[in-house]
Amino acid sequence: MSYEPPITDYDEIVENCTCAFCGCNCDDLDYLVKDGHVVAVRHACRLGASKIMEDMDQRLIVPMVRGANGELEEVDWDTALDTAAEYIAKSVRPVFYGWSETSTECMKEGIELGEYIGAVLDNQATICHGPSLQAVQNAGYPIQTLGEVKNRADMIVYSGSNAMNSHPRHMGRYSVFPRGYFRQRGRFDRTVVTMDPKFSDTAKMSDKWIGFEQNGDYGFYNAIRAVLKGKKLTQNVVSGIPAEDIYELVEEMKNAEFGVLFFGLGLTHTLSKQRNIDIAIKMVMDLNRFSKWGLTPMRGHFNVNGFNIFMAYETGFAFGVDFSRGYTRYMLGETNTIDLLVRKEPDCFLVIAADPGAHFPNGANQHLADIPVIQIDIHWGPSTELADVVLPGSFIGVECAGTSYRMDGVPIYMKKAIDKPETCRDDEWIVRELKERVMKLREEPNVAPKYVPNPAAE
Amino acid sequence: MEYILKNGIVYDPANEIKGEKKDVCFKDGKIVEDVSAAAKEIDVTDKIVMPAGVDTHAHVAGPKLVLGRLYRPEDSRRGVTQKTKNERGESGFSIPSCPTTGYRYSRMGYGTVCEAAMPPLEAKHTHEEICIIPNIDINPLTLFGNNWFILEMARENKIDEMAAFISAWLKITKGYGVKIVNPCGSEAWGWGMNVHGYDDKPPYFDVTSREVVRALAKANEKLGLPHSIHIHPNDLGHPGNTNTTIETLDSLKDIVKSNSKAASVRDQIVHCTHMQFHSYTGTNWRDAGSGAEEVAKFLNHNKHVTGDIGQVTLDETTTMTADAPMEYDLYQLSGLKWVNADIECETAAGIIPCIYSPKTPVSTLQWAIGLELFLLTKDPWQINLTTDHPNAGPFTRYPRIISWLMSAPKRISMIENGEVHNWAEKRTSLATLDREYDFYDIATITRASNARVHGFTDRGNLSVGSNADIAVYDLEPNNFDPSKDPEAVEKAFSRAKYTIKDGQIMVQDGEIVSTKPSQVLWTNVKGIEDQEKAVLDQVMPFFTQYYSVKWENYKVHDHFLSNPIRVDVEMEGK
Amino acid sequence: MKTITFDVKKRNQIALEMDEVIPDKIYSWEAEDFDKYAVPVGNSRFPITDFFDITVEGTADSPAEVKMIFNGDCGRVKYIGNKMSAGEIIVNGDADLHVGAEMSGGAITVHGNCEAHAGREMTGGTLEIFGNTKEFTGASYIGEWRGMRGGKITVHGNAGKQCGECLVGGHIHVKGDCDILAGIHMRKGLIEIDGNVNRWPGGQMKNGNIIIRGRLGRLLEGFVEEEIVTNPVINGIEFDGTFIKYKGDIALKGKGHLYIDAEKNRDKLSAWEDEDDEYISLGDNRLR
Repeated sequence: MSYEPPITDYDEIVENCTCAFCGCNCDDLDYLVKDGHVVAVRHACRLGASKIMEDMDQRLIVPMVRGANGELEEVDWDTALDTAAEYIAKSVRPVFYGWSETSTECMKEGIELGEYIGAVLDNQATICHGPSLQAVQNAGYPIQTLGEVKNRADMIVYSGSNAMNSHPRHMGRYSVFPRGYFRQRGRFDRTVVTMDPKFSDTAKMSDKWIGFEQNGDYGFYNAIRAVLKGKKLTQNVVSGIPAEDIYELVEEMKNAEFGVLFFGLGLTHTLSKQRNIDIAIKMVMDLNRFSKWGLTPMRGHFNVNGFNIFMAYETGFAFGVDFSRGYTRYMLGETNTIDLLVRKEPDCFLVIAADPGAHFPNGANQHLADIPVIQIDIHWGPSTELADVVLPGSFIGVECAGTSYRMDGVPIYMKKAIDKPETCRDDEWIVRELKERVMKLREEPNVAPKYVPNPAAE
Repeated sequence: MEYILKNGIVYDPANEIKGEKKDVCFKDGKIVEDVSAAAKEIDVTDKIVMPAGVDTHAHVAGPKLVLGRLYRPEDSRRGVTQKTKNERGESGFSIPSCPTTGYRYSRMGYGTVCEAAMPPLEAKHTHEEICIIPNIDINPLTLFGNNWFILEMARENKIDEMAAFISAWLKITKGYGVKIVNPCGSEAWGWGMNVHGYDDKPPYFDVTSREVVRALAKANEKLGLPHSIHIHPNDLGHPGNTNTTIETLDSLKDIVKSNSKAASVRDQIVHCTHMQFHSYTGTNWRDAGSGAEEVAKFLNHNKHVTGDIGQVTLDETTTMTADAPMEYDLYQLSGLKWVNADIECETAAGIIPCIYSPKTPVSTLQWAIGLELFLLTKDPWQINLTTDHPNAGPFTRYPRIISWLMSAPKRISMIENGEVHNWAEKRTSLATLDREYDFYDIATITRASNARVHGFTDRGNLSVGSNADIAVYDLEPNNFDPSKDPEAVEKAFSRAKYTIKDGQIMVQDGEIVSTKPSQVLWTNVKGIEDQEKAVLDQVMPFFTQYYSVKWENYKVHDHFLSNPIRVDVEMEGK
Repeated sequence: MKTITFDVKKRNQIALEMDEVIPDKIYSWEAEDFDKYAVPVGNSRFPITDFFDITVEGTADSPAEVKMIFNGDCGRVKYIGNKMSAGEIIVNGDADLHVGAEMSGGAITVHGNCEAHAGREMTGGTLEIFGNTKEFTGASYIGEWRGMRGGKITVHGNAGKQCGECLVGGHIHVKGDCDILAGIHMRKGLIEIDGNVNRWPGGQMKNGNIIIRGRLGRLLEGFVEEEIVTNPVINGIEFDGTFIKYKGDIALKGKGHLYIDAEKNRDKLSAWEDEDDEYISLGDNRLR
């Protein structure tokens, strides 16, 4: 890292912008704007700053449709939207995936379209914190806002999460370093523990590293719970951790005044998946007998939590909601994107603000190559190569205002700082246009002739 | 558009109309004296006509609702229905989705609902949900009881500053009034503790619950807000909490009610919510008993108090409250999945699924205490019908509660036939109470009184000039005995013959025929701007340092309000 | 007695949803009724005769008199026997998700493999599967803490992860191997496993019984050895052999019992050094 002199050549500063990168949603960013572009960002981490400043890098500018020769060809908006709408209107099992990097305002249009045509609406939770949500549904959810952590926490545990690299400002702004009301000395008033098979950068700056073995999470947390209940461990080593270390850790956790467990994909995607989180949640509940404990999933995208919250208040289910029969359904392994793709069910795939081409397993992408894919995004990516229609959107929080939800559920209105490229459109507008066009092409399927009350609810 | 509702039997307690046969006319969304011959006639001969319902206290929108929906898909699954031409698909039983909430209230003939707890930091979320709920107007109450600034001001007894702070925060959060939940207790929960009784202090804050509540009540009256303080006292759900409840309410007796125009609508200076949960005697659940008699006696002698009941409906439901320590206690008892959500410097919340089974002694006791409170309180203007949705039961059970209130034989048969546990008979006086509500009383506790408690003048009555919020039920009160046929009462109140909101027909024969976007009501105090600015300057350094969002991103932007109704309040003496 | 035979014409890529074609709803249907019926597929409906040749023989006055036979690959036919209360269904081939989900009576036999959620939230009846099943056999709906309540599921092949999750009654018998966390969160009932189990059976169980006749990979710390029993009688069934009996999950103050074959799991009796950390491969079942 070399020294870079501060930027002094700018037209204006836009203060208190919100970062559109990770689930921290830092809302204290200042953009330095020159000639309608952000030339520098103050306060942001390198991840956030580079995303915001390099907004024109590999930018999708004009709508494109894949032609007969298999190449993407630039077309006007009407042609692109009509082609996309036709794909959607003709489909029998459409899936609308993504939504985590766009605003809830755009989701509103999306759900109207999804409900109309009978699609599956799903977001990135299906490949990242979906297991956390399933665990929450089984075990509960003791959370707190990040300000609570800042003001009160004296013990911070990161489990299966390398915050230093994935959420660079998380420790500085919310959890470990800031001076809180009851933690005036910041870092010195807190104990930091990292539980991770890998000696990660977060582990390096922690007071304690618990390097349990891979896939050993469930057994390890079960042992902690057993110790919390006063049981003596029978094995000398549990999941690679010596029993005396477990006793010591439990003692420390019990004696904390206010502890918080932050967990990431390291916990959600090992052998026992949602059950890891399930038992971690139960452990936190047990710890509440002795002191105050809470947890927070380290959500990745800035609005991935927003989509879950949005779907929950619109439909009652958090993600993977299937409208195909005219009523809402949510079922593990049945209405989730990956399962559907691997089963080769979908016949039309709308991807908005996501990159399945880069993130999905091969089997799922194979099917994407066979079916019409409509992409709404701002940057070129592997998904563009799979797409049959490309609709260039705009950058929420920079070129377009919108609401997002932080990892702890605090809503933030992300404001607009600069204008979008002339040929791009707002995500909200694009989805609304698609909706209106689909409505003209196909009559609404699966509308009940009469309201039939559900006996359980009336 | 002009309409005339012909020949209905009108119950309008605000105008003391007790079941008179008369026409109700409305035009362009308002009730009018008379309409022209061109008016559309709706024949409701001999049917019950009432103002549309007003719910005093429910949890229908906001962060904790969403947590409930997020973590209880098994509840969402219980109410799923297919979409129709007028309706989106429904879902949920105890925590319905937003569209479902609107539809179900409409079907019961309700027009306005109070969202009882809005944490300021997440107020935007509450407003986003309100925008999605169709057909009903919503007035959200902002949570103040555990706010750090308030605790500090209460400790120093700075009432003027506190009034300015409340006024500023109502503007920032677009709130309607002051809600207090387990004052000091939720702050203590920040350390996993609770306060016990009215004179206890949370750790680190040198202030008692009594000081906080009294200060807030004084500040509320200083501002002359349309609604009084809305309190959920300490010790909810603990046997022996009757004393705390009465002590809390009694301590506010001497506070002088504001003379402002907005405040003059209401009679009370404190509204005590879900009183059923606060009326237990005994020391533990083994020897618990009913404190209903005591609490009702207090109400009968003290006109400065109103309350709503929080009637247990004996269903499987979801409890959710800002009283987080109590939810943790419940979790310890039931072991079911527990949600906790602490909000920095402001409040906390807890959620847990709850099964009120008529076969268990405690649930039955709670059920009986609620009914006792209804029946022992003499003046229906002092109590409102609620289930504290979804805590004691979903709001869709209001019709069933109405049927219990109107039929003593039904209640007695439930006790005698063993439909409920024998604690109802052994530990409460319910079996001896033969009072029955009539339709006029029902209209009072579900509309008129509720509107008055919240300081509404434009709804909850059928006066000329009021909003045309009207409900018609398919019952002919003149040839029908509700005492003998409680099932018919429940059915009629579940599915309104007509629900009219702002002059628009939303429901016909129990079916949704049209929808409209909801409106949010919020209070704007005028004439205190300078003091507000001073208090903001004062709290700003603290805010910047200890909140996790920027001030600019804290307030509710106009973007989140769809067609709000601003209630302007002129401070007394200004 | 009425026999309805569904001969698969073609396997549709998008799953058919057969929740409306269960004995309770179709016992009075004749061939012409099926000709008129359109089956839900995605957001549309298509004539059921596009996918099946349907023959109806005999008559029935109640669901109990109905026998439905599916011949062919039903690997894309969901909800077979979903919520049925009586009658009999035989699938000669594979079946898709939710076979016998929420059924309260009757019998289903699948002569092939099943996808996930077989017998989810059953309250009665019998479900017999001669092939393998995937995750959540006899489990609960997500979020629900009351899973299968009654009836019997027999799996002759292997069962996937979290078999019998949140079980509150009934009997699950897996004759092959079981993947991780069988009987997680269970509260009552019986899970019988003849084959091997790799890890952590009975995680967070409150009550109920799990019997493992094969070899167990890893046991949770939440289980405390109680005694060695011979020929135990559990829920009225006698099990031959010598078993180590554990109580758990202590982490949850559980009172459930886990029995594992003492002969095959001799290492469990000694100290941790002998513990075999190997993740027992379930070959077919996981890679299918």
